[in-house]
Amino acid sequence: MNSSNEGRHDDEAALTEFLSSLMDYTPTIPDELVEHYLGKSGFQCPDLRLHCKARLSAPVKDKSKQPKEKRLVLTMDDLSRALREYGVNLKHPDYFADSPLTGMDPSSREE
Amino acid sequence: MSDGGKQSGVDNESSSSTKKKQKGGDDFGRSVSRIAVAQICESVGFQSSQRSVLDTLADVTIRYICSLGKSAHYYANISGRTECNPYDVIQGLEELAGSAQGFSGASDDNRCLSSSGVVRDISQFASTAEEVPFPRVIPRFPVVRTLKTTPSFAQMGKTPAGKHIPDWLPAFPDPHTYVHTPVWNERNTDPRADKLEQARQRRRAESSLLSLQQRIACYGAAVSVPSDNANDSKGKQVAENNPFLVPPLPYDSKQVSGVAIPKYDIAKKRFSVLETFAPAIEAAKAGALECRAIERRSLPSKRAPVHFRIGVDKKSISVPLSSGVLGNKSDSWFLRDDQKDDKKRRAEMILKEAMENPQELIQL
Repeated sequence: MNSSNEGRHDDEAALTEFLSSLMDYTPTIPDELVEHYLGKSGFQCPDLRLHCKARLSAPVKDKSKQPKEKRLVLTMDDLSRALREYGVNLKHPDYFADSPLTGMDPSSREE
Repeated sequence: MSDGGKQSGVDNESSSSTKKKQKGGDDFGRSVSRIAVAQICESVGFQSSQRSVLDTLADVTIRYICSLGKSAHYYANISGRTECNPYDVIQGLEELAGSAQGFSGASDDNRCLSSSGVVRDISQFASTAEEVPFPRVIPRFPVVRTLKTTPSFAQMGKTPAGKHIPDWLPAFPDPHTYVHTPVWNERNTDPRADKLEQARQRRRAESSLLSLQQRIACYGAAVSVPSDNANDSKGKQVAENNPFLVPPLPYDSKQVSGVAIPKYDIAKKRFSVLETFAPAIEAAKAGALECRAIERRSLPSKRAPVHFRIGVDKKSISVPLSSGVLGNKSDSWFLRDDQKDDKKRRAEMILKEAMENPQELIQL
């Protein structure tokens, strides 16, 4: 028990240190946005530092996407491949069809 | 990292404003996250991206934030709390990240949360990554608008209509909103007085019109008529006082003073309308003198010299109308080139009427 108590103190110290370091960083995702969506999902917290944490975690995920092309244009293809690594299955249609008969064999299509 | 050919912030906002509503109601948050995501992509090194890609990433970000909040709240709840801890958030992060990639120390049962891999990743990121702040200032949203509620009875200071109505309820609307009282015209209409007033106004209008015509006739080529103002009936009065409808005075019936012509150019190619109708003009002037006496208008006893402007190439046209109205007596015949055609047409029309009108008079 004692060791775990000590461990907890260390944890708290490390955590507070970590949280204070968080305050220095300004993430790209704005605070208001995060607040809005956290509030929507029921996250209740008076401490704004947790907001920062939530903010940070989101771009961390995003940033680790690797570009597959030289010309650095982010396409749906790359994105779907990258997101699959994170467990997000993205299926994007290649084109939009005007009618259900588009692309069918012309002989079978009734005009 | 180059700033590339894509203006991520501006493009996103403009395209998001023209997009159709998909989710409805959340557009602002979505467009804000789109901007943020585009900035992150740019900071990573992408120069441009497809629009749908940005939408997808924004959607992913929003979902991530939502699920993170949900799981953190869940962990707080099962610990018997309503407010979330940092530990709750860390656990939520672990749950999200762990389901896909895993993090160091996940399999450890008694692991300490603050030294978990997730926290380490974040702290590493925070310390090393370059700060790219959001470009715009965003207000707290959604903006809460306080509704203007109907004041209660107590607030209005009124006692409710019946004893069964408590005074903290909203007050009844004002009676004028639901009771329609017809509006009557309080003024007594006197048809006779109205008709008299109407006739008086018409007479006044006629007299002013007539005086205008007289003034025109005085300097113009029209024939004037001795006016009969004693007559009260409307139609006949106008016809009789109309100088254009009266037969012209015979020649030599009236003695008029000679006109002193100061000079005119010898080199004239065309005749001016004025010159051609000079006798008519003189007669009109003579007649006008006569009728003017009745109108009690002051006239010069001696006629002003008439200046003719005779151009070589251009037609010179008399300008009896406007200058007469304006009251210029001496220099009234000089015209500007751009008004010449108009004036000529008008003068010719008046002359034509004067010629024709003697026949009309017979009909009257």
